[in-house]
Amino acid sequence: MAEKVPVLSVQDVHKQFGDTPVLNGVSLDLFRGDIKVVIGPSGGGKSTLLHCINFLVKMDAGNIYLNDTRIDQSRKRELYAYRQKVGMIFQDFNLFDHLDALHNVMIGLVQVRKLPRSEARQRAEAELERVGLKDHMAKYPAELSGGQKQRVSIARALAMEPEVMLLDEPTSALDPELIGEVHEVIRAMAALGMTMLLVTHEIGFASTLAKEIYFMDGGRILEQGPPQKILFDAEQARTREFCSKIGRLNENSD
Amino acid sequence: MPEGIIVIGENLSYILGGLWVTVAVVGGALSMGLGLGLLLALGQVYGNRLLQRIVGVYVWFFRGIPLLVLLFIFYFGLLSALEIDLSPFTVSIVVLGLISSAYQSQIIRGAILSLPEGQFKAARSLGMSDTRAILFIILPQALRLSIPGWANEYTIIMKDSAVTYALGVTEILARSRHVAERTYQHFWIYILAGCIFLVLTYIGTKLLQRLEEKVRISGYAH
Ligand SMILES: Nc1ncnc2c1ncn2[C@@H]1O[C@H](COP(=O)(O)OP(=O)(O)OP(=O)(O)O)[C@@H](O)[C@H]1O
Ligand SMILES: [Mg+2]
Repeated sequence: MAEKVPVLSVQDVHKQFGDTPVLNGVSLDLFRGDIKVVIGPSGGGKSTLLHCINFLVKMDAGNIYLNDTRIDQSRKRELYAYRQKVGMIFQDFNLFDHLDALHNVMIGLVQVRKLPRSEARQRAEAELERVGLKDHMAKYPAELSGGQKQRVSIARALAMEPEVMLLDEPTSALDPELIGEVHEVIRAMAALGMTMLLVTHEIGFASTLAKEIYFMDGGRILEQGPPQKILFDAEQARTREFCSKIGRLNENSD
Repeated sequence: MPEGIIVIGENLSYILGGLWVTVAVVGGALSMGLGLGLLLALGQVYGNRLLQRIVGVYVWFFRGIPLLVLLFIFYFGLLSALEIDLSPFTVSIVVLGLISSAYQSQIIRGAILSLPEGQFKAARSLGMSDTRAILFIILPQALRLSIPGWANEYTIIMKDSAVTYALGVTEILARSRHVAERTYQHFWIYILAGCIFLVLTYIGTKLLQRLEEKVRISGYAH
């Protein structure tokens, strides 16, 4: 039997800003349906990693493979096609402020996938319905709550029919009472078998979803393993220290 | 004193004839300034180092020389040197347009830079090209934010347009002066000219305010 090929393979990514190294050789593989979670202290390079994977930040060295095909970011068409296949969710939503929820979701379908407007509208409506925003489609970002905004941004990404989703702290800008509705949507994605790489500090939530957790610090994946192991029985002192701190924080917020 | 009023009555339609010239000069200059200013702004924000430099020098140049001097440079200097035959009217539009483009580029640039950069990132993450992201995400918002700046720019160009009288453009001030010299009613005639400009600046800024309200993004407080 042939080896299974990862949907997304990240190999030896290096990045430095000025003289400061931020990523020092990060590699990881996501197989179809995998949900992997990245945790780690602030400034450890988690966001930079996700940005590099999507080529939103130019990496200094390293390779990204989608279904075994190396992405060459100098070939624009290839890059744009790749980005459609890799959905990205940002901490602060990044909705387009001048478009209502419906058009936030439609614009990628119309401008990137070149769907006819009527078809794009139908698809966008279906995606918004899926994230529970059927009644808010005509609202502009400024009229939506944080949780609703993040759900719009998830619908916007899902409309492109990605093979992988990268989520960068999708709930950390939200009031505690709004986190649940976004988690619910992420859980629903997981149930449908979406492949995901999720950066989060919500380790409780993460451990119920993730197959594997990466602990990242100083631009490296220091340790990786199943949630139970990383959270309660980590090998590295740094990991244990971080997880106990974060565990306490989460308890306090309950 | 009533004599002044009578003179105004007799010459009003002649002076108002200059209205269309003024409006054409201002309209032409602002449109040209917008088109050019937009390109300059995009060049300065998204261009490479060299392009940014060039735009910087351009802006410095056209903001740093008095309008009247530029009008003379172009009309008496450049045109004859290049043996081009353009009317004072056309030269006025071009010179005011070039100056306005320098100012408008900075209005638009400021608007672009004030947008949260995450939106551009999000557009690219959907697979949108930079050009499309600029066209469909950045500019619709930046242009909205530029409207108050334009209202300001409009009043400045409107007032500056009177300077083109020095080239013999028969706009409001030129015609007023003509009448004043003939009738010796300087005070009343120039008051009239001033009032016409007041009305023009008022109407323009009101219209732009309307536009601003009309395209305001729902739920967005400014
Ligand atoms: N555009 C940039 N220019 C310069 N330095 C940057 C830039 N982006 C990130 N950095 C630096 O890179 C390091 C890693 O940042 P990054 O945002 O990837 O960390 P993070 O793990 O996502 O942290 P957090 O948990 O706070 O989101 C930080 O020291 C940050 O200051
Ligand atoms: Mg981050």
